[in-house]
Amino acid sequence: MTSLTVDLTNCEREPIHILGHIQSYGYLIAILPDTYTIVHVSENIADLFGHPPAELLGQSVETALTQTKLPAATLIEILNVGTRNGSWESMNPNRFLLNGTDWNLIIHKHQGLILLEWEPVGENNTLVNQQLIAHSLTEVQASRTLADLLQNTAQRVKTIIGFDRVMVYRFGADWHGQVIAEAREDHLEPFLGLHYPASDIPRQARELYKVNLVRLIANAGSQPACLLSAPNWPADQPLDLTHSVLRAVSPVHIQYLKNMGVQASMSISLLYRGELWGLISCHNYTPRFVDYPARQAARFVSQLLSAALEFRKDAEDQTALQQYRQNGQQLHQQLLLSEDVVQALTRQPTTVLNLTTGTGVALLFNNQLYKLGKTPSDADILALADWLKTTDAETFFETDQLPNLYAPAEAFRAEASGLLAIVLSKELNEYLFWFKPERIQQVTWAGNPEKPVIVTEDGQHRLSPRTSFAAWTETVRNTSESWAESEVSAVVKLREDVLQVVTRQANEIRLLNQRLQVAYEELDAFSYTVSHDLRTPLSSIRCYSEILLEEYGQDFTPDARALFQKIIDSTERMRSLIRHILHYSRMGRNDLNAQPVDMKQLLQGIREEIMVTAKDRSLRIDIGDVPPINADPTMVTQVFTNLLSNAAKYTRLKPEAVIRVQGEQTASDVIYSVEDNGIGFDMKQAGKMFDLFKRLENARSFEGSGVGLAIVKRIINRHQGKIWFHSEPDRGTTFSVTFPAVPTI
Amino acid sequence: MVDVLYVEDNANDADIFNRLMRKLNRPISFTILTTGSEAVEYLTGQGRYENQPTALPKLLLLDLNLTGLSGVEVMEHIRSNERTRFIPIVAFSTSDSPTDIRSAYEAGVNAYVVKPGSYPATGLLLSRLYDFWLQDNTRTHYR
Repeated sequence: MTSLTVDLTNCEREPIHILGHIQSYGYLIAILPDTYTIVHVSENIADLFGHPPAELLGQSVETALTQTKLPAATLIEILNVGTRNGSWESMNPNRFLLNGTDWNLIIHKHQGLILLEWEPVGENNTLVNQQLIAHSLTEVQASRTLADLLQNTAQRVKTIIGFDRVMVYRFGADWHGQVIAEAREDHLEPFLGLHYPASDIPRQARELYKVNLVRLIANAGSQPACLLSAPNWPADQPLDLTHSVLRAVSPVHIQYLKNMGVQASMSISLLYRGELWGLISCHNYTPRFVDYPARQAARFVSQLLSAALEFRKDAEDQTALQQYRQNGQQLHQQLLLSEDVVQALTRQPTTVLNLTTGTGVALLFNNQLYKLGKTPSDADILALADWLKTTDAETFFETDQLPNLYAPAEAFRAEASGLLAIVLSKELNEYLFWFKPERIQQVTWAGNPEKPVIVTEDGQHRLSPRTSFAAWTETVRNTSESWAESEVSAVVKLREDVLQVVTRQANEIRLLNQRLQVAYEELDAFSYTVSHDLRTPLSSIRCYSEILLEEYGQDFTPDARALFQKIIDSTERMRSLIRHILHYSRMGRNDLNAQPVDMKQLLQGIREEIMVTAKDRSLRIDIGDVPPINADPTMVTQVFTNLLSNAAKYTRLKPEAVIRVQGEQTASDVIYSVEDNGIGFDMKQAGKMFDLFKRLENARSFEGSGVGLAIVKRIINRHQGKIWFHSEPDRGTTFSVTFPAVPTI
Repeated sequence: MVDVLYVEDNANDADIFNRLMRKLNRPISFTILTTGSEAVEYLTGQGRYENQPTALPKLLLLDLNLTGLSGVEVMEHIRSNERTRFIPIVAFSTSDSPTDIRSAYEAGVNAYVVKPGSYPATGLLLSRLYDFWLQDNTRTHYR
């Protein structure tokens, strides 16, 4: 065998079905179907027939038997039957006694040639094989879990072929494999759970595994036998060994086996819906031959298992789906029972973590983040939500390689290489995330990745599981297990359930709003009634009292006149009360029309009005530095009118009344103060200051309704401002109000 | 030919108005109508005023809160009729609500006066109104 530079790339390119070698424990002859003329023989053919290859090529197949005691007619008869029936499978193996040894002849036709392969007959007991097959059938029929079924099958195959180790190896979506069941000799290190890179079984090998369900390498250390062709045979048409039972395996694979210390190997394909689902991979640490009937038994077990997979796997998927569905239903129940979405999804026995195989969950809801299991940090999740908003994900988002789509995720790939997210509301930034960890974390290495690459004496790098793993980890870095259909559908269903609850709650709020609107409208109508219908008869009472006084007053006693005056004064007081209440109610509801207000002009206007009514007393209103504010001009006028009128009112008894208005601009506010030298009040009573209709004791002799400051307070609140005051009896009062520099109305 | 047309559905207010007019002792002729629809018919010569040609008043004093056709609706009729569109109208209302005031101006009122609610104050107000609207103000119609 020529020394090959062994690496994974040349492995991918190897044309392994036309290698031109067979394993040397058997012998091969290829003949033309019409004439039975020999066109290919294996170079070791002389061991069996006594003729060197050159003597046989171009001759009839009968020539091969001339040195043996086997009559040529026996072989010819078999070939004739096969040709007549157009079928070879059913006759295999044909048992021959050649020179005192039993051989199994396996015949098949492929690409216009009949291939005859002789291999030894082992000591295998056909009866035992049949029992094992029967047991396998029972096993498959029994309703067990897939894991149990596979484990028992591994044991059964081990019994049939007697190898040291039998593994069931399952391919992932990326064709890397994992050992999911194993039967082995007790002294052997377990391989169960180990992962192998996809490159361990390259694509063209996998294609062959679909065609040729059972392959045996009886002795990895033996020298393969070359195939020789008839002299006139075209060199570009080598013998196709696709269906050969003796076909030698790739030197790369032999090297691979040697690296693992395996001397004999056998693999049995497991197919699921026509695709390669896995392999039963058998290792023996010494050379071991498995004869054709035993291999057939193993193959039958494989076919049984493949058939079982078809419905068992569906059933398992169904079970997973069922489980997610059940948990989904439980969550739905919790949502219906609890008004609180967060509570229902994260704080009950069943949580959103039970809805997938994800290992972490984050719920971003109502500007709060709730986490379960292993998740990225709060900041990372919030940034992820921002990023998700930029994608076209409208309902859900699914990836098993988040860092490749969103580079910052590389920082938290350990927790979240896989992301499944549902969008509850893009506008409100509400999402549910499920995370799956990076797969490398979950992988148990087949071999120690730290172990250095073996370099042979001649300086060649030998292929080893270590180097191939390095390549594999590169390809699977940043990826997680993929999300199953059942997980996605469970999550999408949950989204519907959550949205339904959220919508219902929103509807309730909308209904409340509508009722509030109706209440406001009724209040409006009431206000209107107060303003008109109550004031009209009040005016009548007053006017008629005045008419009586005017027209008949001269006939009244002074006492009667005084009584009439009381009626008139009372109507006036009631009229003023009604007006103030209306103002107060309007200040709560009118839309704010914020704009820059020229305070100088506004305050001067108010001063003029007040000075008109105070012309018979000594009152000074000083307007100091008055920066503009951003506010509703009408309401601000109301505020300062009330504050200044109050100041004017409560300074009435002072010989020299002085009111000072000043403003100051700070970084965040504009602060105004109105200071007077009036009667002041006891700060102990200050709590009542802004209550509707509340008046302080020492203000009793002053006219007022107790509404003015309540209106002021209301207006300031609506502007997101503040109001406070300082006062002492007989030392005046200072009111301070602030307006935000930038109103957030 | 009247100087003042007063539209008022409240009998007391109308009565007080009558008394004040007498008391004012000024040669001002006036008519009081109690519904908005009658006012419109009166001014546009329709309905019950179809065969009684009426001259336009120099001033229309219009209560806003009327049963049936409201003051604002009356104004809309008047302002959309070629003959009456420039009649001076003074809204005379109990309401000082900003929305009422605004809608009155939007309907085309010339002035808005809140009823003082007091006999002497109303008298004073009417006297001032007449000084301005009947003497100082120049109108488009002289018939």
